[in-house]
Amino acid sequence: MSTNLKSRAPAAGTPSPRKMLPRLVTGQEIVLIGIISVLWILLGFLTPAFLTPGSILPLLVAVAPIALIGVGMTFVIITAGIDVSVGAMLMVSAVITAQTMVATGISLVPALLLSIAVGALLGLVNGFLVAYGKIHAIIITFGTANIFLFIGLRLFGSSTVNGVPGTFDVFGRGAAGRTLGIPHSFAITLVVVAVAWWYLRHAASGRHLFAIGGNANAARLAGINVKPLVLMTYVITGALVGLAACFVIAQGTSTLDQSVGVGRELSVIAAVVIGGTSILGGRGSVLGTLLGAILVQTVTSGVTQLGWPSQLSDLFVGAAIIAAVGTDIVRERSRRKS
Amino acid sequence: MTTTALKQPDTAPQRKESLGYRAVRMLLTQRIALLGLLTVAVLAVMVSLNSAGALSGSYDADYLAAALISAVPLAMLGLAELMVILSGRGGIDLSVGAIVSLCGIVFGYSYGVWNLGLFLSILITAAAGALCGALNGFLVAYIGFPPLIATLATFYAFKSLALIISGQKPISTVQIQDFFSAAQSVEIPLIGQNLPNIPLGIFTFLIPTAALVWVLLNRTTFGRRLFALGTNDVAAAWAGVDTRSNRMTAYVISGLISGLVAIVTVAQFASARPDAGVSGNGMALPAITIAVLGGVAITGGIGRVSGILLATLLVVWLNAGILLAFAGNEGTQFQLLALGLLLIGASLLNNLTRKKFGVLN
Amino acid sequence: MRGISKNYGGVRAIRQADLTVQPGTVHALVGENGAGKSTLIKILAGAEQPDTGTIEFDGKPVTITSTTDAIRLGVQTVYQEPQLFPDLSITENIFVGREIKRGPRVDWAAQAAQIQELLDMIGLPHKLATAPVGDLSIAQQQQVSIAKAVAGDASILILDEPSAILTDAEINVLFSIVRRLTQRGVAVIYISHRLDELFEIADTVTVMRDGQTLDTYDIQDLTVTKIAELMVGGIVTEQREPRDFHDIDPTLELQNIDYGQLLHGINLQVRPGEILGLYGLLGSGVAEIAETVYGMKQPTGGQMIYRGKPMVNKGPAEARRRGITLVPANRSAQGVFSFQSIRFNISIGDLAKLSPLKGWVNKRRERDIALDLIKRLGVKTPNENQPISAMSGGNAQKVVIARQLLSTPKLLVLAEPTQGVDVGAKEEIHRLIGQLAESGTAVLVVTTDLSEVLRISDRVLVVREGSIAAEFGPGATQVDILAAASGAVPTRKAS
Repeated sequence: MSTNLKSRAPAAGTPSPRKMLPRLVTGQEIVLIGIISVLWILLGFLTPAFLTPGSILPLLVAVAPIALIGVGMTFVIITAGIDVSVGAMLMVSAVITAQTMVATGISLVPALLLSIAVGALLGLVNGFLVAYGKIHAIIITFGTANIFLFIGLRLFGSSTVNGVPGTFDVFGRGAAGRTLGIPHSFAITLVVVAVAWWYLRHAASGRHLFAIGGNANAARLAGINVKPLVLMTYVITGALVGLAACFVIAQGTSTLDQSVGVGRELSVIAAVVIGGTSILGGRGSVLGTLLGAILVQTVTSGVTQLGWPSQLSDLFVGAAIIAAVGTDIVRERSRRKS
Repeated sequence: MTTTALKQPDTAPQRKESLGYRAVRMLLTQRIALLGLLTVAVLAVMVSLNSAGALSGSYDADYLAAALISAVPLAMLGLAELMVILSGRGGIDLSVGAIVSLCGIVFGYSYGVWNLGLFLSILITAAAGALCGALNGFLVAYIGFPPLIATLATFYAFKSLALIISGQKPISTVQIQDFFSAAQSVEIPLIGQNLPNIPLGIFTFLIPTAALVWVLLNRTTFGRRLFALGTNDVAAAWAGVDTRSNRMTAYVISGLISGLVAIVTVAQFASARPDAGVSGNGMALPAITIAVLGGVAITGGIGRVSGILLATLLVVWLNAGILLAFAGNEGTQFQLLALGLLLIGASLLNNLTRKKFGVLN
Repeated sequence: MRGISKNYGGVRAIRQADLTVQPGTVHALVGENGAGKSTLIKILAGAEQPDTGTIEFDGKPVTITSTTDAIRLGVQTVYQEPQLFPDLSITENIFVGREIKRGPRVDWAAQAAQIQELLDMIGLPHKLATAPVGDLSIAQQQQVSIAKAVAGDASILILDEPSAILTDAEINVLFSIVRRLTQRGVAVIYISHRLDELFEIADTVTVMRDGQTLDTYDIQDLTVTKIAELMVGGIVTEQREPRDFHDIDPTLELQNIDYGQLLHGINLQVRPGEILGLYGLLGSGVAEIAETVYGMKQPTGGQMIYRGKPMVNKGPAEARRRGITLVPANRSAQGVFSFQSIRFNISIGDLAKLSPLKGWVNKRRERDIALDLIKRLGVKTPNENQPISAMSGGNAQKVVIARQLLSTPKLLVLAEPTQGVDVGAKEEIHRLIGQLAESGTAVLVVTTDLSEVLRISDRVLVVREGSIAAEFGPGATQVDILAAASGAVPTRKAS
């Protein structure tokens, strides 16, 4: 059949390319944009200080590492996997990079590459075990979380890394971290999100990730290289964790302590699910993840600025997850019925 | 006229399996056997290191018995996770640690501030835990949230509630401090002369909980329905099982057990700390690890109480040995390594052998 | 394929299989469950590797180690379960793994162009091309699967029981596609339990039994009975004795039952000891009748009278309490608790039976009950603790049926009682249904198996487009029933 169809100009009446693609922006993303806008305006009213660069910019800088790791996590979750070891991976990348910077005083680019390489290597371990070990991702990454934590703590040697130089200041909160008022870390994050967005939408292997998450067996039978692709999602996550580690170092003080990375995996997963990515796989959006990260950070920042107890932000994050996923469930249910 | 030829299934000729072959096969496919072997191995290694003088303390029966104090919360939370993971559909409870924190505060107030007496305080705390579990169960069973997400959300919520209600300060009134006696080790009556003292919590909390869960799973109709849910919840619905209420019950029980763990924790720390269950990496991760190590299938429908208990024993005694083998902080670090390797190793082993020998357990 | 054999850890799935397929022919592969058909085609499709044997294409030996190898050789498979991605569109589903690319990008326009013709041929409306496939009906998803296989430039197309979920009209569409393919030289390997279909579409038939290919025949040399004989190695009976029930009060009566758009004004009665057969094509609403009776769905109009009194079942549990039990249509998804024991699978049907003490399980009782039912139904197993996953379709189905017989039901509903069941077990299950009816149970059988419904029912009601189209007593033929069920000329619309 396909022999006589090969090169043919689209006949009149072919639906336009735009209509052949999934919708540009999903319902969930629109809702999030709406909520974030409302919150920002509200907070702007309640604390005039909120809508100033002095407050918004640090917010964006804080969003950067979460959103960055979130992109990787989105890829992983789309394939119906999960990675709860990102917090530990962050610790390992950060400590290795920081110690190297202190010991050898290497410059920005090598340090960056080192951190990314470390992250990617750790991600490779995860990816290999998940893709080829045939064990559920949650079990594997629980295990590797422990192992990476062990490595990280050993490297820390029960102390802190002191005297970390400002090599990464270009990613930080200060003036060095901005050009034309836009924080570099956030800008880089936007670029990564954009590339990931394009990849998931237009690249064949990107669409394959959705296929794998939708029905891994069918994907395999269709000739998709499931294992290497799944492996890749974890490696990418690791690499992004490495990059995020540099941002985190930049955002901190010259002393790096062991708490770096603790609990991060939960914030990242929260951002991803709030963004509308289904934990069951097959559906997801990196734009949603970015918005989810912004929402969570807005809540945290807002709570601080309003002078409320800081634990309240956790409560709101929990509520946000329930609201976001709840509306997603309702929307999916009504879509299937129609 | 009907003739139907009854066919025998055509299997390859069965070779006579030697005892050794069968033993190895059982070890590889039966998680309980594997855990037992590993525990014995750990004990053997530690004891030999002990006699070689390589340990900083004495790895003897008294030490092992004293180490059991950390087995109580760990095993109990492992049982909690067992219930929800068994219920299937991605069942998991990330909020157990946060429930422990929150209920710890509840207990702190009931027993230490309002002086409601021990019995009533325990009741209230357990009820509080059950209520938290009910929220999880409602979100999962009635609304349809994926359990990972629902319990992630409630983890955040309960965690912050604990800190807010307590004003971030632990409750360490006199009653609470005296409650430490509940965590002491005691001599077993009648036969305890030559046996080491065992922490009270084993008898007052762990054994009753484990027994109750075992009975629930193996001897009650609820247990059957739970296994049915976890194995195939569509088929369970067609067979007339109320999927929603039974799944909800699993989460309620998980919450209730977490509430009880809170009491144990308060006793151990002699103070009701609002971050008790969530400090460091929290209590949920080790609990889930214990469950998986204990042979629970993450997809549901498979799991045993004995697996949880054995896994806990293995981990606790291994950790105790590591603490002696390595000084100070190093010890805690190597415990992490051991846990991670155990988890991945045991799962890999089961997976590889499942292919060769068929379904496990 | 020559000298193929395959072992799975001690169980010989295929002992010795040879298969020669000519281009441009439809080659049917038949055999009971467990005969080895699925394994054989999995080997050809690259999903499994044979232990021994060779495969040749056009006289040249090839090795197929993966599904990609098979696809490259031109082997395309359409399985029973549509292997589709629910969140991707039809277009993406068809092109997955073979996307048309412009550089690194997917060329959406070119793909859309090719899809037009494909959709026309399959009979799906164009506007569905971008809808997520999960929103489509099962039958439509099956059509997409076929389109997908066809688009893949196949030289061999393997169809594994494709007609099981299609209406007769859709089957005709399928057959016309198959004929078009064979005209172009594609070889089609067609696996089916529906022996009567083969006479419409197949050119040659290979029979497998007990892991061996017996022989290959031209279709003209065979009859349905002959094929069945070859499959079983024995002779199969037909029809039962006609019986009359008019004097007894009905156990179940449906009065003017509506269910949404699917059922309109259904009236029927089933009497104790009677076997009422319901036949209808997929989508006719016949499955919904069973579900409504059982409480899985709530009727939107009309009422049900059960043993003289109006009945509302809010769920299966309530129906079961009343003495109504049901064997679900899809055994693996809706019936079987796969890694649990036979004992578990049986007792879950009525847990109260195990517990004289409320809520408590009496293991001795459970064992006795299970063993008794295993014996009664002839389940082939060494003991009651075997996992049901190790059993053949027929045996597993018996276990699911046993689950419904813990207390003798007043009304037993069976949906597709012998789907995926080998001829031997099918016979036994039919006999069991007869015995149940004789002992006084009212039986409602919902099935899309034409010969089955004729064989075991006292009366047959044909359901078409949501209403009862006809009623037949003993003496009706398959043609009568099929005509009543399809009503208008089949090719008019694909539904």
